[in-house]
Amino acid sequence: MNKNFSIEKWKYVWYTLSHPVDAYYEIRHRDRGSVPIAILLVICFSLSYSMNRLLASFVVNDTDPRYVNSLTELSAVLVLYGLLCVGNWSITCLMGGEGRLKDIAIAVGYAALPLSMSFVAATIFSQFVAADEEAFYVMILTVGIVWAAAMALIGIMQVHNYTLGKTLITLFLTLIAMILIIFIALLISDLINQVYSFFYSIYIELIFRT
Amino acid sequence: MKRLAKLKGFTSTLGLIIILAMTTQSAVYAAQLPYDTYNYDYRDDVVYTPAAYVPDGSISGVSLEYNGESIGAFNNPQDMCISTEGLVYLADTGNNRIVVLNQSMTRVEQVITGFDHNGVADTFNQPKGVCVSENNRLYIADSMNKRIVILELTGELVGIVENPTSEVLADDFVFTPMKITVDYADRIYCIAQGMFEGIMVFESSGNFTGFSGTIGVSITLWDKFWRKLATKEERTKQQLFIPTEFTGIDVDDDGFIYASSIDTSGKQAVRRLNPKGQDVIKKGVDANLGGDLWISGFSDYSGASEIIDVVYRDKGIYSILDRKRGRVFTYDHEGNLLYIFGGIGTQAGTFNTPVAIEETGEKLLVLDSFRCEILVFAATEYGTLINDAIALRYDGDEKLAIDKWNTVLKLDENNELANTGIGKAYLTAGDYENAMKYLERGMSRDYYSIAYKRYRNNVLKENLNYIMTGAIVLIGAGIIITKVRKRKNYNEDDSGGGLI
Repeated sequence: MNKNFSIEKWKYVWYTLSHPVDAYYEIRHRDRGSVPIAILLVICFSLSYSMNRLLASFVVNDTDPRYVNSLTELSAVLVLYGLLCVGNWSITCLMGGEGRLKDIAIAVGYAALPLSMSFVAATIFSQFVAADEEAFYVMILTVGIVWAAAMALIGIMQVHNYTLGKTLITLFLTLIAMILIIFIALLISDLINQVYSFFYSIYIELIFRT
Repeated sequence: MKRLAKLKGFTSTLGLIIILAMTTQSAVYAAQLPYDTYNYDYRDDVVYTPAAYVPDGSISGVSLEYNGESIGAFNNPQDMCISTEGLVYLADTGNNRIVVLNQSMTRVEQVITGFDHNGVADTFNQPKGVCVSENNRLYIADSMNKRIVILELTGELVGIVENPTSEVLADDFVFTPMKITVDYADRIYCIAQGMFEGIMVFESSGNFTGFSGTIGVSITLWDKFWRKLATKEERTKQQLFIPTEFTGIDVDDDGFIYASSIDTSGKQAVRRLNPKGQDVIKKGVDANLGGDLWISGFSDYSGASEIIDVVYRDKGIYSILDRKRGRVFTYDHEGNLLYIFGGIGTQAGTFNTPVAIEETGEKLLVLDSFRCEILVFAATEYGTLINDAIALRYDGDEKLAIDKWNTVLKLDENNELANTGIGKAYLTAGDYENAMKYLERGMSRDYYSIAYKRYRNNVLKENLNYIMTGAIVLIGAGIIITKVRKRKNYNEDDSGGGLI
């Protein structure tokens, strides 16, 4: 079996869920994590999110299923995931973080597991609720989200060997870095577009002249 | 060769059929209504529905004759009222007269231009409101004469209400009645010009007793913030925060007053006032009684509906009239929006300046003051079915309503009202599974939840034995497994990690 998908690596995901501080330390220093598994978990999260929007009972679900496109959501989640990892990496590189891009990707990716679990559980549970029992549904979702947030925070803290305060500061800077990346990407795409349309108009001109 | 000719003949007839089909189809399109008929679904999206009411002609003064001569065109008519006998009383404001039409509005019964005021002939000046009470008296809001005139239906004067005096009225208050209605006890409810405190209530004797249904003023935090910043001079120049006036008024059989007002936020344009003057109207799931939910943009056509009149119909159903987009919105007693029709335009069946709405029989009448016409709308099968089904539910005969709703579903498959109606009927009948099915289609969370809870209870009750046994078995198995594991794997570290 591939090194990245070995049984130990899968088992380690579960260990990370319950012992995030130790596990992320091990991931950073003893390579016990796996990036492909992390990406797979992010994809799982995206699918469970779409599933929740599509299939949760109408008692708790305001989404119009006609407007849910799981592929769009998948690409959006993956782009956000990539942005977060790259943004965090570019900031922590400058701020004495010890984590490699790989570690950040694993830290964030593994944190998506409680999210997917709670989304699936909540979706199943929603089939059995009445209107005034929504609180339980919301509770399941909240537990998942809080758990995931805590895991991601601890993960980033551990892989970079930061204090909590510094982690929060770098996370804020990460947000700015992400916005900058988006801005530059838009700028580049616009410039390329203009260059393309320039050459295209030359081509059109040549076609009509001859 | 013969075969080919046959084929040719066949194709040509086929072509003819297709062309015929296409022309009939275009004929159907040509007969389309001059307005949109739609409703809002549970997600507040617009869904187009079959028409509940379709144009059924119009009545203008020109075509009407009284005593052998034409009564002439109406001039800026402002109000109308249906008497208990079904006669239509029209306040022909610009011509200073009240025109009485028969039920089908084909014949003029009477034209009231004045009355005998203690031996002196008296006339009206801009009568803007008219009402016929249950006790068959005619009440006229004679606006420019600053009085309410009460007449017998035959034309004799009963009384005049003018110059109301009270501590709560300012000394320089000028009483200009605009719209008027009368309840079963002959109490007069009057909307007066510039009277922001509410509807003026008069006893049957004509004494002013107080106000009913004051509309509260809501100041947003943002407004408060700006007023804090503004200087005193600026503040005096700012718009005053005054409540909106009522625009139209009607009374139901129990003496509750339906009053419409222009709500700029589009949330609640109609109130149901109890005898104490409190608003007791029921709101639906989206808590909206303001006509259109949203029309975005910055044109004259956008913004909240401006509700100009309300008519209480029957069995808790009432309709409100929007002057901005010329639409008629109909609600039931639970605040559900039943159907929408009407529009601004120049085609037959559309309005220019709608001012008043009434119901006579199965027909709705809308008065247009600019066109000087009464536009008549007749209920379609769809509209009649909804009206009947709502009436049956209002009376508590939900089971009988199922047939009506099923027919509605045939006309409009996704009608949420119909699905909810059927679901509710099943719910009262105790058939929870069917109730859940229909209530989910009707997107009725509350009633679905009731049905689901009862269904769940039933399932639990029936299977209690199995569930309890299963639970006990599971718990026992759990205890045994943990004990066995403890004994067996005492030293094994199965966590797969940890600091090594």
